[in-house]
Amino acid sequence: MKSDVVIEFRHVYKRYRLYRSQKHRLIGIFTKRVKYREVFANRDLTFEIRRGESVAIFGKNGAGKSTMLKMITGVAFPSSGHIKVDGRVSALLELTAGFDPEFTGRENVQLRGQLWGLDKEEILDLEKEVVDFADIGVYMDQPMRTYSSGMKARVGFAISASINPEILVVDEALSVGDKAFREKCDLKIKEIMAKENVTVIFVTHSSASAERVCNRGIVLEKGKLAFDGPIRAAIEYYEGPQEQSVLSS
Amino acid sequence: MAQVSQPPLDLLAIRTKRYGATLLDIVREHKEYWRQIFQLAAVDLIKTYRGSALGWLWAVIKPTVTIFVYWFAFSVGLRASKDVGGFPFFLWLLAGIIPWFYIQEMLTQGSTNFKRYDYLVTKIRFPVSTISTFVSLSKMYVHLALLMIVVVIFVLFGYPVDVYFLQLPLYVALMFVFFTLWSMFASLLSAMSKDFANVVNSFVTAIFWVSGIMWDVNLIDSPILSKVLAFNPVTFLATGFRNVFIYKRWFFEDTFALAAFAIMLVGMFGLALFTFHRLRRDIADVL
Repeated sequence: MKSDVVIEFRHVYKRYRLYRSQKHRLIGIFTKRVKYREVFANRDLTFEIRRGESVAIFGKNGAGKSTMLKMITGVAFPSSGHIKVDGRVSALLELTAGFDPEFTGRENVQLRGQLWGLDKEEILDLEKEVVDFADIGVYMDQPMRTYSSGMKARVGFAISASINPEILVVDEALSVGDKAFREKCDLKIKEIMAKENVTVIFVTHSSASAERVCNRGIVLEKGKLAFDGPIRAAIEYYEGPQEQSVLSS
Repeated sequence: MAQVSQPPLDLLAIRTKRYGATLLDIVREHKEYWRQIFQLAAVDLIKTYRGSALGWLWAVIKPTVTIFVYWFAFSVGLRASKDVGGFPFFLWLLAGIIPWFYIQEMLTQGSTNFKRYDYLVTKIRFPVSTISTFVSLSKMYVHLALLMIVVVIFVLFGYPVDVYFLQLPLYVALMFVFFTLWSMFASLLSAMSKDFANVVNSFVTAIFWVSGIMWDVNLIDSPILSKVLAFNPVTFLATGFRNVFIYKRWFFEDTFALAAFAIMLVGMFGLALFTFHRLRRDIADVL
């Protein structure tokens, strides 16, 4: 039996070092005597997310949402603090990325299947599922560098949604693509969420959709955790001061 | 739906690691991902030769042209093509230059791995220590194909395979290990700074001419210079290939050269481990 807490952040800091130049960065690897400026993308983040919860993350640009998500997905590492993630993470963020531009959509799907360690049959299944869902026709066999951002997003979403995630990270980048595809994605996300014990992290500026999907909200401000509580209260906290701007479209 | 297995992520462990733990990590990542390493090596080959009409043939055409140009310059232009050890100059050249094509690829392309495969670092959770390994493996496939052609050429010239060829796998393996470590070290540094990649690129030609690929290291008068040169891994490898094909010597006959290479190998291992330990966590932030 797995533990109930699937994501745990304890005093997590993420620090970026800004050097004056590339040369300084290179020398800085070997000696501590090179000067640099430090910026903190995340400061002292401490929270727990339990199995089956769906949590909305609010925050302005630069509040540290992306950095936090990257650490949850395991591509970035905290400068200090403790992160624990227990479960298959599928990230629907930056949907246009994670592909080799030289390879076709189909080859990229196969490549991803191989990276995940799937066997031949599973890769064939994956391929079929992605081709059906992405629905981009003959472009599936063209190099991905020729894709429009909408097409990349389609393939990206189809792949991420097809690995049966235990922890689903959805970024608002989903707004790429036309209305019909967005609705298809919404349906798929709901289908995944309807399964038992799937944890969802939903990053958005739209409080309306967050309220539909989530029961808890976390607000980040300048890298710090500013609010953590029920979704309604989080929305009020987030939207309170700056009355109805473009954010609540 | 496909079930993808993902071990739980515990980032505290990564944070507080020591060098030994980093090394264990690298070994574990290779063990867990050995299947993917071979698959990605094939992918890398396709990625390298895709998109040109002649495709795979380039892997052979490029070295052939290079060898022909050097042979022409030396034997026709400089008239400096004496037979070596009873072998025609052309075959002597061939034996020493064949490892260079792999080495050159590793020096240049092998130091840009993280740029070529940035999506494996910044977009998906992937064991980045294996990237250098599969790139090196992909170059090794090409090298083995070229090596086979060279063996056939020697046989066609009337020099059959003999007992000295037994040590060929050893030299190939040493070369693979050394330059895989180099690639891990160099691609980390060149991801951190473009300066490093430029430094490497500007030294490739120098390394080629200084390493005794185009001239016979056994003819050096100064004993000090030849001892110093023994510490050049490229010299060791080029000479090693000639030991097999031309000089008919065993790898243990020159103990000094063997020891010098061993020292350099350990040094490169240390450098690779040091940089990987220091930079593994930062690499996704700077790409």
